[in-house]
Amino acid sequence: MYKLFAAFRKEWLILIRDPAGLIVLFLMPMVMVVVLSMVQEFGWSTISKEPQVPVLFVNCDNDSVGNKFQQGLSEAKIFTLITQFDSIPLTKETARQKVLDGSYQIAVVIPEQTSERLRAKIRLLVNKTMTSLMMPNQDILAGVTNNDSVEILIYFDPAVRNSFRNAFLSATKEFNSRIESRIIFETFQEELRKLFPKFNMPIIDYQQSVYFTEIFPSGVKEELLPSTTQHNVPSWAIFAMFFIVIPLTSSIIKEREEGSLIRLMTIPVSYMTIFMAKVGVYLLVCFIQFGLMVLAGIYLLPVFNMPSLEVGSNYFAIAVLAIVSSLAALGYGILIGTLSKTHQQAAAFGAVSIVILAAMGGLWVPVYLMGGIMKHIATFSPLNWAHTGFLDLFLRGKTILDILPEVGKLFAFFAVTISIAAIYRKLKPPIST
Amino acid sequence: MTEEAIIGIRDLTKYYKGAEVPAIDHISLDIFKDEIFGLLGPNGAGKTTTISVLSGLFPPTKGEVTIDGLDIRSDHDRIKYIIGVVPQEVALYPTLTGLENLQFFGNMYGLKGKILKERIDEYLVRFGLEKFARKIVSNYSGGMKRRVNLIAGLLHKPKVLFLDEPTVGIDVQSRNVILEFLRELRETGTTIIYTSHYMEEAEKLCTRVAIIDSGKIIAIGNPKILLEENPEFKNLENLFLGLTGKDLRD
Repeated sequence: MYKLFAAFRKEWLILIRDPAGLIVLFLMPMVMVVVLSMVQEFGWSTISKEPQVPVLFVNCDNDSVGNKFQQGLSEAKIFTLITQFDSIPLTKETARQKVLDGSYQIAVVIPEQTSERLRAKIRLLVNKTMTSLMMPNQDILAGVTNNDSVEILIYFDPAVRNSFRNAFLSATKEFNSRIESRIIFETFQEELRKLFPKFNMPIIDYQQSVYFTEIFPSGVKEELLPSTTQHNVPSWAIFAMFFIVIPLTSSIIKEREEGSLIRLMTIPVSYMTIFMAKVGVYLLVCFIQFGLMVLAGIYLLPVFNMPSLEVGSNYFAIAVLAIVSSLAALGYGILIGTLSKTHQQAAAFGAVSIVILAAMGGLWVPVYLMGGIMKHIATFSPLNWAHTGFLDLFLRGKTILDILPEVGKLFAFFAVTISIAAIYRKLKPPIST
Repeated sequence: MTEEAIIGIRDLTKYYKGAEVPAIDHISLDIFKDEIFGLLGPNGAGKTTTISVLSGLFPPTKGEVTIDGLDIRSDHDRIKYIIGVVPQEVALYPTLTGLENLQFFGNMYGLKGKILKERIDEYLVRFGLEKFARKIVSNYSGGMKRRVNLIAGLLHKPKVLFLDEPTVGIDVQSRNVILEFLRELRETGTTIIYTSHYMEEAEKLCTRVAIIDSGKIIAIGNPKILLEENPEFKNLENLFLGLTGKDLRD
């Protein structure tokens, strides 16, 4: 055991004798978590205090449909409607041109007589219904000059993401449904009043009947809404922890290049002791990194008007998961450092493989949004195991028992990678043979 | 000198991966206790390969090696306790102090506490490094690094000490201190296997030398006796050049 302590002391002394390296190790992950969380929060969020997306709006209708669309889009708080440039009202052609040249991503054009055409179509519908009830009313068809289709034009920039495009179309279809429903209700009401004047029916205002309530079942805190912070901070914290691979592989290769490893091969000490000493020191580094990133999520993000990270109260489970996640990263780093012959090989492979594992593991695109085989592949990424565990603790209020599968997998990954590294080193000494 | 062979080498052969010609070609020799045995040879002769095999860095392709009765293949871990290796490259941690390096390597040999401290202090004084022990190694001169490099292989008082070009690239004073120390070490019963390009050094220091070329031993014996047997050569360097040739070996 004292050999392990001696090796740990050696690694610790080497680490702390590089103050610039230490600052980078601890400061950069915090900066990364804050910056990337901010980028994702302000770039992707659809819940925002200020309108984010400018929409060109051309209301040639100037009647109920056009006006209600304009009112509805303005009240949505997601869009900023632009109806004129330099006090000149937009036209269909100018709006189309601005989307074509990429200045704006969306333009909505309500053509002339849209409301009139809609009312005509509804009157025809009401007439058919009344006729079927043996109450035809030819007056309702007065003024119905055509029953051409009612078309609202929406121009999209091809660069607009599908997800946003679909969200916008859903919103406009919802407005349209409400407008149509209201007009249908009002038209029917009007006809019934005409048919039965004796009843002196009151004018009833159309109101939406069904409302949607969002519920996020969470044992962490009542009414805890999952913000981008809750997703981003664990994602980027795990990503940063796995980047410990870079300094760790550098330490291993440097020891080989400086000749110290050659000397160690002639000394009665096992590779496992040498590796575990590195694991011990860098585990401390990872744990401190994780702690700093969580603190950044809790205290620093609100300074930039972002929601604070909620971690719940299961600190023991969080600590256990942080430790095994770190161990998984360290085992991987030791394996890469052992297999790589040069710093360039280790740095390039280490960095790129972490990015791949992060992408595979759902740190950027959630796993549930992935298709087919990718969903299955995601389950093989240790970053996915760590991410799932942290989300379970932060968002779903789960306990240490619930995350035992993830803890087990991460520890097993560490055990396997470090064992492979030790066996490889024993069988293939780090000198040309 | 006793007749007890502490190192027995029989038909030692080593092929590097992909090589058609062996780096060590069927070498057999005995090295006796208390000897300072010099392995001399031009570049690529097989000196470092021989030392590497004997010190257990990699196994031989063929042949048998025993050190103090222990087989190098099956008893490798036990052998590590009785051998010390001073590699050709300075194998120290540059950001640690000389003292920290020695404490670490001493701990790896199983030494600790008072015993380790006393040995480190003894060697630091012996090699004139006591004032520099707490300075980091990257600030040492070449001679100082070589001296610490040597001490790191001696702390556990090995029975056999392998030195691969221990005095290359250092000042005369440092070289002198090292060579004097090796003579004293021999007197304590340590067997020393030593490679060098410095023929004059080998002639003065070694009790026996083996001249290796292309993986084979082409001459072996006490330097004085070898020169007596080859009177046309005035010194070991001339003998060496006479046996291996004057062509450059790259």
